[in-house]
Amino acid sequence: MNSPLKYFACLVLTALFFSCSDNESESAYEDLPSLNDRLMAGGETTVFLTSSNSFSTPAPNLSASDLSDHLAGDVDFEAIFVTAPASINQGLGTIFNNSSCVSCHPRDGRAAFPTNLNAKSGFFFRVSLPGQLENGGSIPVPGFGTQIQNQAIFGYQPEGKFQVTFQDVVEVFADGTQVILKKPNYSLIDTYIPFPGNALISPRIGSPVFGLGLLEAITEEDILQNQDIYDVNADGISGKANYVFDAVSGTIQLGRFGWKANTATILEQCAGAYNGDMGITSYLKPIETGFGQTNGEDGLGDDPELPDAILHQVAAYCKTLAVPAPRNLTHQTVRRGAKIFEEIQCAKCHIPKMKTGHASISALANQTIFPYSDLLLHDMGEGLADHRPDFLADGNEWKTRPLWGIGLTQVVNGHTHFLHDGRAKNITEAILWHGGEALSAKNKFKQLPAQDRAALLEFINSL
Amino acid sequence: MKTNLFIFGFTSLLLASCSNNDSETANPDSALNKEILTNTSVNVITATYSELYNNSVALTTACQNLSIGDEAELTAVKNAWVATRAPWEKSEGFLYGPVDTEGIDPAIDSWPVDVNAINNILNSSQAITSTLLENDDARGFHTIEYFIWGLSGNKTASELTTRELEYLVAAAQNLQSKTQQLYYGWLQSQGNFANNFVNAGQSGSIYTSQKDALLELVEGIIIISDEVATGKIETPLNGNNGAASPQDEESRFSNNSKLDFANNIRSIQNIYLGDFASIEGKGLTDLVASKNATTDANIKAKITEAISAIEAIPGTFTDAIFNHRSAVQNAQQKVAELKVVLESQLQPLISNL
Repeated sequence: MNSPLKYFACLVLTALFFSCSDNESESAYEDLPSLNDRLMAGGETTVFLTSSNSFSTPAPNLSASDLSDHLAGDVDFEAIFVTAPASINQGLGTIFNNSSCVSCHPRDGRAAFPTNLNAKSGFFFRVSLPGQLENGGSIPVPGFGTQIQNQAIFGYQPEGKFQVTFQDVVEVFADGTQVILKKPNYSLIDTYIPFPGNALISPRIGSPVFGLGLLEAITEEDILQNQDIYDVNADGISGKANYVFDAVSGTIQLGRFGWKANTATILEQCAGAYNGDMGITSYLKPIETGFGQTNGEDGLGDDPELPDAILHQVAAYCKTLAVPAPRNLTHQTVRRGAKIFEEIQCAKCHIPKMKTGHASISALANQTIFPYSDLLLHDMGEGLADHRPDFLADGNEWKTRPLWGIGLTQVVNGHTHFLHDGRAKNITEAILWHGGEALSAKNKFKQLPAQDRAALLEFINSL
Repeated sequence: MKTNLFIFGFTSLLLASCSNNDSETANPDSALNKEILTNTSVNVITATYSELYNNSVALTTACQNLSIGDEAELTAVKNAWVATRAPWEKSEGFLYGPVDTEGIDPAIDSWPVDVNAINNILNSSQAITSTLLENDDARGFHTIEYFIWGLSGNKTASELTTRELEYLVAAAQNLQSKTQQLYYGWLQSQGNFANNFVNAGQSGSIYTSQKDALLELVEGIIIISDEVATGKIETPLNGNNGAASPQDEESRFSNNSKLDFANNIRSIQNIYLGDFASIEGKGLTDLVASKNATTDANIKAKITEAISAIEAIPGTFTDAIFNHRSAVQNAQQKVAELKVVLESQLQPLISNL
């Protein structure tokens, strides 16, 4: 289509940017970092949007055929599945969490913490028995698997219902400001068969899906470079890569996706979501999630339900959604915030800059990007711990989330609920939930005067 | 969600980032911008949702009055469905805010119809209530459409069953509650999402500048023009490897698709002009006309041509995708031309403000 034009536009933009950054640096009176080189957060896949569509456009540098795949995948991503047999979009359930991709990743963004935990939402429980399988994977709970489906097509019983109670946790800043965090305590109730008392429960919420192809294209070598399992440099931070069983290749691979980096590829992530979240089988996940359960089989023998082409289109779509550019990078406050972000060591794990290597989609290859993540696992302390191991991730460990686009969450999704279960109601709360390896950074945050906290937040919200 | 757009006008964002962020007050357009944003969010968007809600109340009443064999009342229900459908389609140029963040779109407009779910509910012994349907996709416009027109579009009142009537009333009540939630989400005395536009650029608004809010309006109408051309018309017209694919037509039971599409373009018209029903307020057109009268005239002309071309498709859309393909192609072409002018002329103009 018009990719030459788009490319031209990128060049124009870069020129513009530098012309204005020159002015800015002349007037700089404080020793603040220049953020100018971080503008193209997704490299050439960057878009300049500030609207509710900020996460939802194709990378502007896609080839015509990659754009065509993306647009086809876009339709698939929004398709609502119905009870089989049907002429279109058949195969929902029998048990499921939601009926379309977009319903858990609204506007390709972040799901809100649900007001009703048992309405269809972007929230569910992962479960397992204590211990691990031979390949390191979680041990499925008999009759429930590794994910609880709290919905079912009419006439079938969901696996159970989610329940949460909250307990106040008071955090006090050095200046006396109080924040009351709500610590969730989850349980599974009304199960269709008894649920083992020793089973582990870990909540999850749908996360944004843009920029994923870039994360997939960061070289393993580059990710491992930041690994420091035994904290040899004694900075209190010991990033660790997860290595996971990959259904696509049938081998153990570096985990990159999911809240505990338990999935190696976007393709498997998509197949897993179709299967686990919607009850749609595909060639990669051909067995219904409720196989062998009284509530899990529709007896139609129609598996795999999803055409291979659709699975591949949806994976291509998630790989090629553009990354929104940061805003206000030249503002003094934002630059001060960036300095604080380094000083209190947020950037130790939320590493700003990465680069991609080879990628089958040429638009994603050899890009300099600013995801603000090391893609490694870190002990985040007891407050966030789920006590549920997942391959090499132990019960305290979570993968560093990318921060790109985070400041657009409100305009895109109408909320600012963060972390793996959406428990934090804003960025301040999300920071205050950090513990473990991030405890020192959190404590430094609490020592900051209000003005510095505001600058830090302004920087994070500029992303 | 969308298209390969939004690439034209983005340089200005950059410029804005260089300039002082307190420049809103110094902007000579800021008073006009505020008028446009206020009128559009309150007198167009909120008013569209108000009509949607009011008409859905009438639809519920009509459904409650329906009895088996009462053909006149079934016609009244059909008319009430069409009347409710119209403001919904006229709202698809602004699918941001509560319609999205509160999950109302799938509750109102879920498609395709889950016929198996409907039959399973009908065949169960459970009372069918709005609450029962609350967590199910088997509700909303198309489920109601299915009950009153039937799969082939020729259902009569004598074919209705008691259980279907029970379901129909529950579905109408559920639609009513969702449209109320949507209307209240924008209403200034309630959720007041409109405030984000009225006070764009000020604290309390999710838009950090008036331009950002104007761009939201612009992107919304670009997206629906793209959706009509490359989705709603294209898939039924060519979805079967270049041949017609009638099962992909959204409002096919009621044969309402042509009106749906025309009302989608009217949604663009309403946002662009700042007009709705008897209101003729400030819209994007006033800003555009002050900058470039040719662009303004172009956009207005393309809107009118697109609506005319859709209305010129002979007979039903279902028939036309087989027997009047050139007329459908012409309508598709006109909508695509509208999209191009919005994306290549309107968006850059607003971006570069």
